[in-house]
Amino acid sequence: MAGLAARPGVAEPDRGWLLAGLYPLVAAMVALFIAYPLVEILVRAAFVGERLSFAPIAKVLAEPYNRQAIYNTLSLGLTVAVAGTVLATLYAYAMTRVDVPGKRCWHFLALLPTISPPILMALSLILLYGRRGLVTHELLGLQTTFLYGYWGLVAAQVLSYFPFAYLLLLNLFRGLDASLEEAAGTMGAHPGKVLTTVSLPLLVPGLASACVLLFGYSFADLGNPLLLGGDFPVLSSQIYLAIIGQFDMSKGAALAVLLLLPAAFLFFLQKRLASRTAHASVGGRASVRHPQVSHPAARVAALVVCGGTALVIVMQYATVLAAAITRLFGIDNALTLRHFEAALTSSRGALVDTIGLGVAAATAAAVLGVLIAYYVARTRAFGRDALDFIASLPLAIPGTVIGLGFALAFNHRPLLLTGTAFIIVAAFAARALPYSVRSGVASLQQLHRSLDEASTNLGATHEQTLWRVLLPLLRPAVVAGMIFTFTRSVTTLSAVIFVVSPHWSLVTPTILSQMDRGDLGEAAALSVIVVALVLIVIHGVPRLFARDWRERA
Amino acid sequence: MPGGRTISAVRDFTLRVAPGEFVTLLGPSGCGKTTVLRTLAGLEQPDAGEILVDGHPISRLPAHRRRIGLVFQNYALFPHMSVFENAAYSLRIRNASEESVRAEVAAALAAVGMETLGARLPSQLSGGQQQRVALARALVMKPDLLLFDEPLSNLDAKLRLQVRSELRRLQKQLGTTSLYVTHDQDEAMSLSDRIAVMNGGQVEQVGPPEEIYARPASLFVAGFVGQVNALPGRATRQASGHVAVEILGRTYSFAAERPLPQDVLVLVRPEAILLGEAGTAPFEGVVEDVEYRGDRIEYRIRVREMVLVALEAALGKSRRVATGDRVGLDLVESAMHVLPAQREP
Repeated sequence: MAGLAARPGVAEPDRGWLLAGLYPLVAAMVALFIAYPLVEILVRAAFVGERLSFAPIAKVLAEPYNRQAIYNTLSLGLTVAVAGTVLATLYAYAMTRVDVPGKRCWHFLALLPTISPPILMALSLILLYGRRGLVTHELLGLQTTFLYGYWGLVAAQVLSYFPFAYLLLLNLFRGLDASLEEAAGTMGAHPGKVLTTVSLPLLVPGLASACVLLFGYSFADLGNPLLLGGDFPVLSSQIYLAIIGQFDMSKGAALAVLLLLPAAFLFFLQKRLASRTAHASVGGRASVRHPQVSHPAARVAALVVCGGTALVIVMQYATVLAAAITRLFGIDNALTLRHFEAALTSSRGALVDTIGLGVAAATAAAVLGVLIAYYVARTRAFGRDALDFIASLPLAIPGTVIGLGFALAFNHRPLLLTGTAFIIVAAFAARALPYSVRSGVASLQQLHRSLDEASTNLGATHEQTLWRVLLPLLRPAVVAGMIFTFTRSVTTLSAVIFVVSPHWSLVTPTILSQMDRGDLGEAAALSVIVVALVLIVIHGVPRLFARDWRERA
Repeated sequence: MPGGRTISAVRDFTLRVAPGEFVTLLGPSGCGKTTVLRTLAGLEQPDAGEILVDGHPISRLPAHRRRIGLVFQNYALFPHMSVFENAAYSLRIRNASEESVRAEVAAALAAVGMETLGARLPSQLSGGQQQRVALARALVMKPDLLLFDEPLSNLDAKLRLQVRSELRRLQKQLGTTSLYVTHDQDEAMSLSDRIAVMNGGQVEQVGPPEEIYARPASLFVAGFVGQVNALPGRATRQASGHVAVEILGRTYSFAAERPLPQDVLVLVRPEAILLGEAGTAPFEGVVEDVEYRGDRIEYRIRVREMVLVALEAALGKSRRVATGDRVGLDLVESAMHVLPAQREP
C-alpha cells in the first residue's frame, strides 16, 4: 500500500504534547492560588518568626471576647442548622409528596436567595425590623434593637441558606424509591405513618447532611454578622475586624484557622453523610412517580409552609425593591429613580468591574476546570489525584478564609498582587473551581471512553479529541459552570472583602459601605440591579450559548 | 492498573493476516482477543513484541497515526454530530478539502446503504443503522487494516444475521483486510477466510473454518466451535502415517501426521453419527433423551458407559425414535478426528 511506505517506524512526538505541556502549568496554578494561600494562613497562625509556637492561636484563645465569639459561632450555627433543616424538610416534602398548587412558583421563590448577595437579606431585615424599620418603628412605634444580634442573624441566615438544604432534600425525596412507600401503603399505613416509618428513617443521613451543610454556611457567612451582628461577635466578623480594624494579621490568621478547622471538618462530615444517602436511594429513579398526598388538611398545611415561607422571601425582595424606588423608605414614600441613577453613576465603576472580573473569573474557572477534569478523568498523569483534591478544597473553606489567604499571600514580593484585578479574578476563580472540576469530571465519566478511542482511531490527537468531541458534549456543563462562577463572584462578599482596592471596586463591598454610610436607598437599588443581572444571566445565557446538541433532534 | 497486579492478558501471540483476508479471533470472553485488537489499534501498549503492517513496524506509532480502522462494539458514534459528520470525521481531522469530504463520505455512506440519512443524528437511528454508520466512518479513512470488536453483539438475533451477510459481501467487494473479534462461532464460521481460536491469552489454532471444525487442534477448539463427542481410545498400531485406534471395542484407522501416545481421544461430531435399526449397525445404544429442534432432532444415546450426542435432519424421517428405544449407531469414519488424550485443566 502506497500510504505505508512513507510511514516512519519510530514514535512521533505528537502524542498530546500540548495537553501534557499544560499539565505542570495547571498544577502550578492550583498550587499557587489554592494551596499556597492556605499554607500562608497556617504559617502565620502557627509561627512566630521562624519558630513553630502556635502563640497567635493561644493568644486569641486567651481573650474572653474571642472565646465568646467561638461560642456564639457554634450556637448560631446549631440554631440555623436545625431551624433551616426543619424548614427545608417541610418545604421539600410539600413539594414532592403533597398535591399542592403553584409548585413551580414556590420552587422559584425558594431558590431566589441562592442567587442573591447574602447581605440583601440583612438589608431588607434592617429596612423592615431595624432601629428605624418599617414594621418595628413606623407601624409599631418601637425603638428596638432586638434585630441586631442572635435572633436577627438566625432569621437572616435561615432565609439565606435554607434553600441550599431544600435543594439537597428535594433531590433526596425525589430519588427515594417510590415502591418502598407504595409497599408501606399497600400494607395499610396512612401517609403520616409512611413518612415516619419509611421515608424519614431512609432520609436520616440526608437530614444530617443538610444540617451539617447549613452549619457550614452559617460558619462562613460574613455579610450578615457584619450588618446584623451588633454586640454578638462571631468568628468571621472578628476576622474582619482584626484585619480591617486592627491591621493585626496574625490575629486574623489565628481566628481564620479556628474557623477553617471546624469548617473543613464539617465539610468532610457532610460528604460522608451524603455518600451514605446515596445508598438509601440506590433503587430510586427520578422518573418514578411518587404518590401524592391529596388530603385537604395536608394540602392546606403544605400551602401554609410553602406559601408562608415564599411570602416572607418575597417580602424581603419587595422591601429592597421598594427602598430602591422610594425617596426614603418608610418615611418619604414618593416614587423616585434617584437611587438607581446614583447607583448607575457613582457605583458604575463597581458594576462594570464586577461584571468584567466576574466574566474573566468564569472563563478562567471553566478553562482550568475542563483541563483538570480531563486530567483526572481521562489521563494517568502523575499526581492527578492530589490535583483533584487540592482543586476541590475551596469547597471546604469559608470564603473569608480564602479571601484572607489571598490578602496575606499576595501582599509581598515575589508575588505582589494586592491592588490588581488579577488577585480578584484569582479569588473568584479559586472559589468556584471545585464546582467546575466536579461537574466536568462527572460529565466526562458519563461519556464512554470509546468516544475518545474512536476519535483517536480516526486520526485525531488528544487535543483534537478534546476540542471536537469532548468539549461540544461538555458544553452544557461548562456553560452552567460559568454561570455559577459568575453568579457566585458577583454576589460574594466574604471572599473579596480583603482583596478589593481603590482601583478595582466591587458591588457587594460597595453595598456594604453604602449601608454603613446609611445610603440604604442606593444600597437597595444596587442590590436590585445585581439580582436582576444574575437572573438575566441565569435565564438568558443558557438560551444563547448552551443549546444542547440533543435539542437539534 | 493503578495499585493492582499486572496480569498478561495475551502471551506469545503471532498471527499473519494476508492482504484482503478476513480473519476472525474467536474465543470465550476474557481470552484476550479484544486486547489483541486494541493493541493493534494502539489503544493498549504491548509489553513486548512487534506489529508489522506490510513489513513496517508500527508498535511505536501513536494510535492516531496508524490508519487501522476500528468498529466498536457500542459503535462509539459521536452523539453531537450528524451521520455525515461522523463519517467525515477522519477527513476533517486531516483538513481535507470540502470537495473530497463530500465525495468520499457520500461513497462510504452509499456503500453501507446510508446515503439518504446523512443529516440524522445517531440517536435517531436504529441499532443496525448505527452499525452501518460506524462501518462507513471506519471505511472513509481507507484503513490498511479494519478491526471489528464484536460489532454485532448489540443487535437482535434476526438483524444480526442480515448485517452479517452484508458485512461479508461488503468486505469481499472492497477487499479491506479485516480482523474480527467475536465469541460467536456461527459468526466466525460464516464470515471468515480463517479463524484463530484463542483461549487463555493464547492462540490454540489458526485455519480456515472447515479445518477448525473438522480437524480441531484441541478438545477446547473442538468444543468451542460446536458440539462434539470425545471418545477415549487406544492407539494400537502406528505405521507410515497411519494409526489404528480402538474405540468402544472396534478398531478404526486414521491418517496421523505425528506419532500419537497410546491414550487418544477420538472426536466425533453429532452429525457424523448415523442412526439405524438395532442389530444392523456396528454399535448399539439406548436412547436416553430426544430433543426436537425444528430443523433437526438431537438424541442422547447411551453406548456402554458413554453417552453420545447425535443429530439428524428432521425432514424425511420415516420412523420416530423415542426415549428408551434401542438403536443401532454407525460412525462416519472420514468425519472423525484423533487427538492425543490430554489432561484437562
